[in-house]
Amino acid sequence: MLAVLAFFVLQRPASAQTAVGQVPDKGPENLRDIKPAPIVSGSAGFVTTFDGGQPHLGPIVTPVLLVPLTERWLIETRATFESDLAEPPGGSGFHGVLRKEVDYVQLDFIANRYLTVTFGRFLTPFGIFNERLYPVWIRNLQSDPLILPIGIGPSNASTGGMLRGGFKATRQFNVTYAAYYSALSTAAPVDSDRLAGGRVGVFLPQARLEIGGSYQHRLQGERSNLFGFHLIWQPQSLPLDIRAETARSRSGSGYWVEPAYRLSQLPFWRNTMRRAQVVARMQQFFVGTLTSDALPGVNTKQFEFGLNYYFMDGWKATSSYGRQFSAEGNKNVWTMGMTYRFVVPLAPEESE
Amino acid sequence: MIAKRYFLATLSVLVGSCVFSGAQERKDRESAAASVPKQEAPARADEARRLPSGQASAAPTKVVAGGATSPGVSDESSMRVEGEKRFRTNCGRCHMAPHKFPPRAMATILRHMRVRALITDEDMRLILQYMTQ
Repeated sequence: MLAVLAFFVLQRPASAQTAVGQVPDKGPENLRDIKPAPIVSGSAGFVTTFDGGQPHLGPIVTPVLLVPLTERWLIETRATFESDLAEPPGGSGFHGVLRKEVDYVQLDFIANRYLTVTFGRFLTPFGIFNERLYPVWIRNLQSDPLILPIGIGPSNASTGGMLRGGFKATRQFNVTYAAYYSALSTAAPVDSDRLAGGRVGVFLPQARLEIGGSYQHRLQGERSNLFGFHLIWQPQSLPLDIRAETARSRSGSGYWVEPAYRLSQLPFWRNTMRRAQVVARMQQFFVGTLTSDALPGVNTKQFEFGLNYYFMDGWKATSSYGRQFSAEGNKNVWTMGMTYRFVVPLAPEESE
Repeated sequence: MIAKRYFLATLSVLVGSCVFSGAQERKDRESAAASVPKQEAPARADEARRLPSGQASAAPTKVVAGGATSPGVSDESSMRVEGEKRFRTNCGRCHMAPHKFPPRAMATILRHMRVRALITDEDMRLILQYMTQ
């Protein structure tokens, strides 16, 4: 096993490859001088939610600090500052507390074209939503999927180590993988469970189709297995994005399907329509044999419809209407908001 | 015990993938060297997915097959077009295609996305080239 690990870690890049995040090994000479600089990226948003008639104001800022070290290392961390402001019963005005949290702090070592080794606290790669679609500027609908808490740990992150990578397997498809181990941590809000798991995906660039599966084995408590499946498809002939996920665990199971259509093909008001996107999400959750505070207590079904308008690629207005059906009572969920993505370089652009 | 087995199985898959991938790369290089670049029109949806800012609309429409790191694609223009294609295919899976950022910031973002979104090394280099021009 050590020999296998050594093979991955010590394998040098092939001659046709340069250091990751550096410069192409082909192309203009001036590109060879580009050195990655530390940056602060992230998103900010203000989303108002009417959940069963109760208004909630949700300001959120999530800065991401990226510090590249030498040619193969990267430190990345994300913090979240958010609040849920609501009117207290019988009171007036909106009140809430500011929640501060470090979502992840990880050190990445990019060993070669096949392997990246990650240490620290990282977003648990179970499914795709938690790791890739969670930021407010990326997600098409501002509400979380009902099955999101399945497999991602008590604070959406794991503490330990991870091997991951993506590479071109054939001319037709790429393979992506992630295998991780997390240790138990009870220090809130950076708590994590003891577990091991992995995710494998196949991406077909020609078809713009990505499918994959996730597996996780909990090494504490009931020591159960969790399974997940995800799909992303962007048909060549339509400005349509289809995303879907399923998850199965002893705490519950369910799925969500989310098509999003850009209105750019409509023959009128082209300048406005190409910035608009209609979204729908259908999801269902089925309770399991174990209870979980993060998951609904009863079988739940929810439909949502949304409209997004992109002023720029990183700045959008978002709105949605949803109807939730469950044994605890049906309710409407409205959201309205604005999200913004920012990037701030922390070093001058001129290379040394 | 199960975790150990799982870990060993994962490593076995990785080794197999690397061996297979290496063989495929050699095959690709050989076939690409013998192939003639051909043109294809961009998908209509690519146009439709373009940013409101239209920042990438000035790109040429031809795409050279064979991959930018293969000997079949050697000129800067072809690599740029291939870079745009990879940029739209990879970045558009999760979010709207972003503006171009300063080159050093772009290099950092791509290193981050290489880890986060598991973009392949080849795609990353082509996208970096496209986004820094």
